[in-house]
Amino acid sequence: MVHSNSMNFAPVDWAIVAGYLIASLTIGILGRRYVGNVSHYLVAGRELGLYVGIATLAATEIGTITFMYYAEFGYKAGFAAFAAAAISGLVMIIVGRTGLIISRFRELKLMTVPEYFEVKYSRGLRVLTGVLVALGGILNMGVFLKVEGQFLTIVSGIDARHLVAVMTVILLLELIYTVLGGMVSVVITDFIQYVLLSIATILVTIYAVYHAGWTNIIDKISSTMGGAGFDPFLNPRLGLTFLVWQTLLWFAIHTCWQTTAMRVFSMKSPKLSKKVMTWTGFIFLGRGMMPMLWGIAALTLYGTGQIGGDGVPVPVVGGRALQPLEAMPAMLAQILGPGIRGIVVAGMLAATMSVNSSYLLGWSSIISQDIILPLRRAAGKGPLSSKRQILVNRLANLFVSLFVMFWGLYYKLPGAVYLYLNITATIFLAGAFVCVIGGLYWRRASIAGGYAAMSLGAVGAIIPYFFLHWGENVTGFCAFGLAAVGLLAGSFAGRGQASAGRTAPETALR
Amino acid sequence: MLFWRIFWTISVLVAGLCFAFVTLVVTLRGGHDLHEMFARLLEQKKHPDEDASR
Repeated sequence: MVHSNSMNFAPVDWAIVAGYLIASLTIGILGRRYVGNVSHYLVAGRELGLYVGIATLAATEIGTITFMYYAEFGYKAGFAAFAAAAISGLVMIIVGRTGLIISRFRELKLMTVPEYFEVKYSRGLRVLTGVLVALGGILNMGVFLKVEGQFLTIVSGIDARHLVAVMTVILLLELIYTVLGGMVSVVITDFIQYVLLSIATILVTIYAVYHAGWTNIIDKISSTMGGAGFDPFLNPRLGLTFLVWQTLLWFAIHTCWQTTAMRVFSMKSPKLSKKVMTWTGFIFLGRGMMPMLWGIAALTLYGTGQIGGDGVPVPVVGGRALQPLEAMPAMLAQILGPGIRGIVVAGMLAATMSVNSSYLLGWSSIISQDIILPLRRAAGKGPLSSKRQILVNRLANLFVSLFVMFWGLYYKLPGAVYLYLNITATIFLAGAFVCVIGGLYWRRASIAGGYAAMSLGAVGAIIPYFFLHWGENVTGFCAFGLAAVGLLAGSFAGRGQASAGRTAPETALR
Repeated sequence: MLFWRIFWTISVLVAGLCFAFVTLVVTLRGGHDLHEMFARLLEQKKHPDEDASR
């Protein structure tokens, strides 16, 4: 951790950041006036058009955390890391063009992914899926604040001892408008935040390449990593298993990840959701490659220390040895001038708030819609009014925020942030993706198969990674493989127990 | 190695240009989308509790 006693921010930078925060908060709160029922609160009344749809989907999945983990990955794996970014973008374009899963999801007028499990399988499986989605999602989000706080303290020069205060302020600001205006506020702020974060992304890329120099960048990667710095099949961090796992994972993320799926659910029509997905795929290519390039530029400029445990030189800035994760923000603190630094930090704050507000809404909606409400119905209690459902969502929002705060403070990451996020996502994505594919495209998928897939997918991610400390590639494969075996074995074993099988839109739960 | 070096150089250029182009289009045309969404939401608000409990 960088302990800085000098502020990198000039008054103009503070003014830009404060102006952005006030504008964002005010506009977010104004969104409240458009919320009349729970579908407004969770899916913006399904009224998103093409361009706002692209902005909100992109802003939701581009945060400071994204820039940090991709830059760290670029620092450690060089240009070979670009393969992961290319996969994420290309898979999204394929999903958009084909409408794989997303078209059917939108036709069913769902509000959450686990809701599909009640349509196709059973209410019990919806609850189990809800628990796993909430667990994986919240663990995933749990490291956001800490990493984002690190970025802001390093770039602005705020003393690292104030990290907790910085985290709390970020969380409170995004919590206020998310709780009040739900998806409507999130969409409005996402649009503004997307424009700002994109400007920051392009500015930082130009600055980073200008300061490091393209020839120097190529030479540094060649001398540090050799061919493995360019060839993803040769790189020990990647290789064929990694690329196949990433392809599977990104198919699952783009179709079954709650915050992404919520945008699909919010679009005016299934056709429009496909268009949004296709165009956002092109943004995703840059979303990965540009921050990876920042990490590579940071290695070029500051990778002068001893070879660390990751096999790359430790970054040294101002005589201090840092972690590879800290190299990119430390570089920005050095190369950006007054004014530009303010714009970039405001852009990064915008990115942070758009992601966190969407994630807060996404995971709290799962807790309320897929755990609390179905359990309430199972207990024989009547349906809740829209107002009550919104209240339950708001309380769930608060719960998720508190958990995220404490997890971020006390959990120590075992390795690269990117891979931790991938594994926590796999906890539910392996089973959910297999169940959804099976449910939509395989007639014999049964309730027993669904339970087996969800349970084995989660076990296959949690035990190898958190307890056996296996590598991420093997863990990822293990989870997807076990989930597929679970669905097949469970469906054949429990042949008498048919699934609900109501996949047509007209039979969706109402 | 030369192949990958050229491949990634072109890829990052294309990715950056796509990112900038889509951002420009979304920025210019997104305001109209938002305006339309507000109007429809206010219209929907006149019919409370539709699409509520599942």
